[in-house]
Amino acid sequence: MQPVLSVRDVSLTYPNGYTALKGVSFDVRQGEFLVVIGLSGSGKSTLMRTLNRLLEPTGGSIRYDGQDVTHIEGEPLRKHRSRIGMIFQHFNLIRRHSVLRNVLYGALGAMSSVQSITGRFTAEQQQVALRNLDIVGIADKANQRADALSGGQQQRVAIARALMQQPSMLLADEPVASLDPATSHSVMQYLEKINKEQGVTVICNLHFLSLVRRYATRVIALKGGELIFEGTPDAITDEWFRTIYGEEAVEVEIR
Amino acid sequence: MNRSAPLITRLVAAGVDLLAGIYLAAIVLRVLIPRGIFDISPAPFTTTDMLIILGSGALLMVAGMVSGASLGRSAMRLTVTDGWGRTLTTHLGWTLLVTTVMTGWIITGMDPLALFSSGGLEGAQRIFGALLTPDWDILGEALMAMVETIYLAFMATAIAVPFSFLLSFFSARNLMNDVTHRRIAYVVLRFITNFSRSIEPLIWAIVFSVWVGIGPFAGMLALVVHTIASLTKQYAEQIEDVDHGPMEAITATGASRTQVIWFSVVPQCVIPFLSFTIYRWDINVRMATVIGLVGGGGIGNMLIQYQGLAQWNEVGAIVIIIAVVVWIMDVISARVREALK
Repeated sequence: MQPVLSVRDVSLTYPNGYTALKGVSFDVRQGEFLVVIGLSGSGKSTLMRTLNRLLEPTGGSIRYDGQDVTHIEGEPLRKHRSRIGMIFQHFNLIRRHSVLRNVLYGALGAMSSVQSITGRFTAEQQQVALRNLDIVGIADKANQRADALSGGQQQRVAIARALMQQPSMLLADEPVASLDPATSHSVMQYLEKINKEQGVTVICNLHFLSLVRRYATRVIALKGGELIFEGTPDAITDEWFRTIYGEEAVEVEIR
Repeated sequence: MNRSAPLITRLVAAGVDLLAGIYLAAIVLRVLIPRGIFDISPAPFTTTDMLIILGSGALLMVAGMVSGASLGRSAMRLTVTDGWGRTLTTHLGWTLLVTTVMTGWIITGMDPLALFSSGGLEGAQRIFGALLTPDWDILGEALMAMVETIYLAFMATAIAVPFSFLLSFFSARNLMNDVTHRRIAYVVLRFITNFSRSIEPLIWAIVFSVWVGIGPFAGMLALVVHTIASLTKQYAEQIEDVDHGPMEAITATGASRTQVIWFSVVPQCVIPFLSFTIYRWDINVRMATVIGLVGGGGIGNMLIQYQGLAQWNEVGAIVIIIAVVVWIMDVISARVREALK
């Protein structure tokens, strides 16, 4: 089967001279749940942002769905981004706006600027938004202000916003890093559900290996901007663990 | 001497010395000696004076370069020669400070005795007496003028807001630093707003009173110009402070630049913008009062008329009305801004 995403020798050096990625290559097939691990500063977030081209690689190439997206801009870039949903560690909702509106903003990529500026979304869009809220189990919160919700609920709103894009891939940048353990599993289970039921490919940065073992179908590890491990979750032996996280590291369980 | 310091730093240090020398020579020659010692206005400026002044600057600069004891070097954090060099630099600094204060004393015509002389105290008694026995016959007229001033400030604010709102997005560094043409637009816009803000509304009022004639309209236009410049800067600084996360999230949905700004930047800014605007209206009421003094209409205009006629009791009434209204507006605006938080 052809990979849906193909990353070849991608490097990224920031304008300040800091090199975050050094020749990273890997493939992702449709429907995978790929987890990216590595220490803070290993390049995980940067990698994620090159995939939906919030950042532009300074070397290498990225192909998505048969199209070279490494240096696209303008309309093709908007289109590329709109096909990939993204959720963030800090949820990044518009705090003052209602939950429903936040979900509707996921549709902005498919609308023209003029069409959307009045802030009026069609009845159909509103129905889809409510359905997406239902998928993450918080349709009853639709009219509350986003910042009135708990962290876990806000992350679920963010997932619903990403679903609004009808994405073929979902990027999750440390989605549970600011949540407590119980809520973490709830959020991860919604990602798993979307992955399994809708066949959406998920690429997720995680810190806790117990979560990795529970949810990932495949794992890659970054260290100092280089890809140093690629395999199934159970292939992460103690030795690999120490290689990835350093000799001093101790594994912490999250249940 | 620190030879390894960049050339530009050493040039700036030398420039500082040159200017310090010129400044010191100029105030000694043109102010301290003639007006401070001989109490005469200085003789007309001659070429010799000019040469002496420039020469002193050059002398100080060369001395600093050769000896390493210099204000410029110390200001640019270059090495200053130890021991006597440091002492000399410190003395030079103190000399500059003391001569500047002395010059300031002379130039402002400092005369503490005038405050407490019998003639002075008599004048103070006359004006305070009149101000404290206000003539309330003009109350109706003064209130109408005050209302005119408040409306003037309101209209100036209302007209300025849409302009400032639009301009602020182009003056916010975080939205304008991605490509070269935006960076240029940012610099140009910042320059224009900073420049027009540095011109006091009073001066704008003079300009517009010649342009459209003396009256409230000229005063309002003056406030509009100043308000656009000030609000644009305040709005833009607020935009620079927004949380970047929501911007990134909206960008990631494939939204256009306009959509990103409209749906992630604006919602974060609306309340602070409103708060700044109300405060600006408050400031504008005070400014409108002053602008009235140069023919900008409203209560200031009325004040200057009675002052010209030396009708101090009426002036007293007007001053009290201004103070009370400004105070009330201040309290209200503070309460509203507090409630908006």
